[in-house]
Amino acid sequence: MIKFKQIKRIKLNEIDTGDETFSVNFMPNLGNLRYSIEKIGLIQPVILRKKLNRYQIICGFRRVSILRDLGSDEIEAIICEEELNDKDFFIISIHDNLLGRGFNVVEKAIAIEKLVYRFKVDSTTVIHEFLPLLSLETSEKILNTYLSLAQMEEEVKIYVINEKVSHSNIRRLATFNQEDRKALIPFISRLKLGENRLKEMLIFLSEISMRDRISIKEILKKPEIETIISQSELTSSQKTEKIKRILMNLRFPKLFQKEEEFEKRIKCLNLPSGISIQHSPYFEGREFKISFQFETPDEYDSFINTLLILKNNEEFKEMMRKFE
Amino acid sequence: MVKIQIEKIYLDEKAKNDWMTKRILEALPQVPIEEVRDKKELIQRYHLFPDPLSLGKRRLFITHFLGRRLKPCPGTSNHICCGYYVINAVTNCPMDCSYCVLQEYLNNPFITVYSNLEDLLYEIDEFISKVPNHFIRLGTGELSDSLALEQIIPISQILIPFFEKKEGVFLELKTKSSEIDGILHLKHSRKTIVSWSLNPPNLINNEEIGTASFEERIFAAKKCQDAGYPLGFHFDPIIEYEGWQEEYKETINTLFRHIDFRRVIWISLGGFRYPPRLKPISEQRFPKTKIFLGELFPGKDGKFRYLRDIRIELYKKMVGWLREIDPKLFIYLCMESKEVWEKVFGWAPENSLHLNKMFINRIKDFLR
Repeated sequence: MIKFKQIKRIKLNEIDTGDETFSVNFMPNLGNLRYSIEKIGLIQPVILRKKLNRYQIICGFRRVSILRDLGSDEIEAIICEEELNDKDFFIISIHDNLLGRGFNVVEKAIAIEKLVYRFKVDSTTVIHEFLPLLSLETSEKILNTYLSLAQMEEEVKIYVINEKVSHSNIRRLATFNQEDRKALIPFISRLKLGENRLKEMLIFLSEISMRDRISIKEILKKPEIETIISQSELTSSQKTEKIKRILMNLRFPKLFQKEEEFEKRIKCLNLPSGISIQHSPYFEGREFKISFQFETPDEYDSFINTLLILKNNEEFKEMMRKFE
Repeated sequence: MVKIQIEKIYLDEKAKNDWMTKRILEALPQVPIEEVRDKKELIQRYHLFPDPLSLGKRRLFITHFLGRRLKPCPGTSNHICCGYYVINAVTNCPMDCSYCVLQEYLNNPFITVYSNLEDLLYEIDEFISKVPNHFIRLGTGELSDSLALEQIIPISQILIPFFEKKEGVFLELKTKSSEIDGILHLKHSRKTIVSWSLNPPNLINNEEIGTASFEERIFAAKKCQDAGYPLGFHFDPIIEYEGWQEEYKETINTLFRHIDFRRVIWISLGGFRYPPRLKPISEQRFPKTKIFLGELFPGKDGKFRYLRDIRIELYKKMVGWLREIDPKLFIYLCMESKEVWEKVFGWAPENSLHLNKMFINRIKDFLR
């Protein structure tokens, strides 16, 4: 057990707030804490240690920051005088945060990154001791996911927090280079994608980029994509649908060409609006499916007649030959 | 050359006294051995590793197989298959192809050899005796490579003489290796067909990790040809990529500059196909793989395949180049639909039985 000295009042200007050795803060939500401190004052003292002639923060970066903003010049602090190494202080800081506010996903990433790279904790220990502490699955895959997130750009981290991006999509983002990610984030932020749509889009972009040897940034700069993004009359979901179609077209050009040709031929048949003809899934089989909807016996009669006539229609026969 | 790096042997106590076990241990004298009583616990232990599949390729598990090891090739539903039987003497393989379906198919990551070989031979004999007027094709290349492990586990060296004496039963050894030295001197009476899976050298280098090079495979095939073995070639999986036409054409031409087409009993063509669960596994293990970049969609059997038009184009071109070598080459499509057969050849086998009959006729013609 670590021994702490009793609580003292420490001058805020004696605290080195620029020393972030033990901080994992990212986008801290200060509103609630500020309200609580304003209302009833500081309940839990911060933990500091003496370093040279100033104090280094071990736990309580947000509390120090709020009190300073509120114009206080002192704070209640527990001064740790034990001769521990930085790694142990960092572990104290993690435990303290877990008891209180918890971590967002990026803060977990920062904590893991600091454990591995700054405090040189070996990967196996991080996986088996610290990942469960952070409520994460104990696997190397998860460790690598969080290490990659810690390396990502600020805007990506913000997006990951705001949109609650899944581990698998974080891994997908990690395969993109920095420039591509920077181009991608403002683009996907405008679309408001759900988890599956984001997955779909990242896969399309990554595969098109790999196959055509062009950057994701270049794909996003394509005029047809930029046009849709700039159309203010479209809702986010309309933009998403249209962009998805463009990306599918780029990813599966032969399928798309075939779909278009099929649709063109169907149009030439001038069928009444209640009748539709579908090809087999992905044109794999020979079969076609005709469906129709009707409301009255007359409408039913009319559709049946249309279908009977259809079998002698040369364009219909040609379509069957072409797509069988 | 296929590099085999067995770093540890797990030995099931049931397998300790088998002849095959002793032979394997003699071939790997330096490799540490751990006796195993609980196979499930061993497998679970490995699932905690980040990449159990890669690690498993360096671990050999010797055990007994208690069920049937001779089974009809599972083929695939709603497609025409060739009616082949598979012998599961070994599962898993020391090579590491990005497209290998075993990555998602096997629940055990180790190269596993079933050392109760006598039981297998008995099972085969019993099976053959139950099929009247039999004409059976069997192979060991479904859940492993038939020859890659031959230096350590000489199963083909036992099976070839075993089948040599059998009437109407033909063994096909499918490989991506060049491990043929142990079988060249064996008496086979043309009852064993030695087959190579082939792809253009670039694809072999990028997607077929740890396999013999294209040149090594052809050189090995030539030696088997000289030893009188009928040869088979499997262009499977055919992958569509930029420049595939030139590379596959060159592959075919190079092959037949060294191999006498009259000694080739059959050639199969199979477009790349995969069960949905393979993609995430393969992409994680082979982040640079390009095999999934084609236009692949789920088919009637749930497996992803190239768009039908693409497959037809792939096959038509391949058939055209092969027919330029010899119009009479016996070429078949592996796990393809009737529709595709018709578009490629202008006709299609009625069903899998019909295709099997064609194989029988082909063998009879070839051996005449």
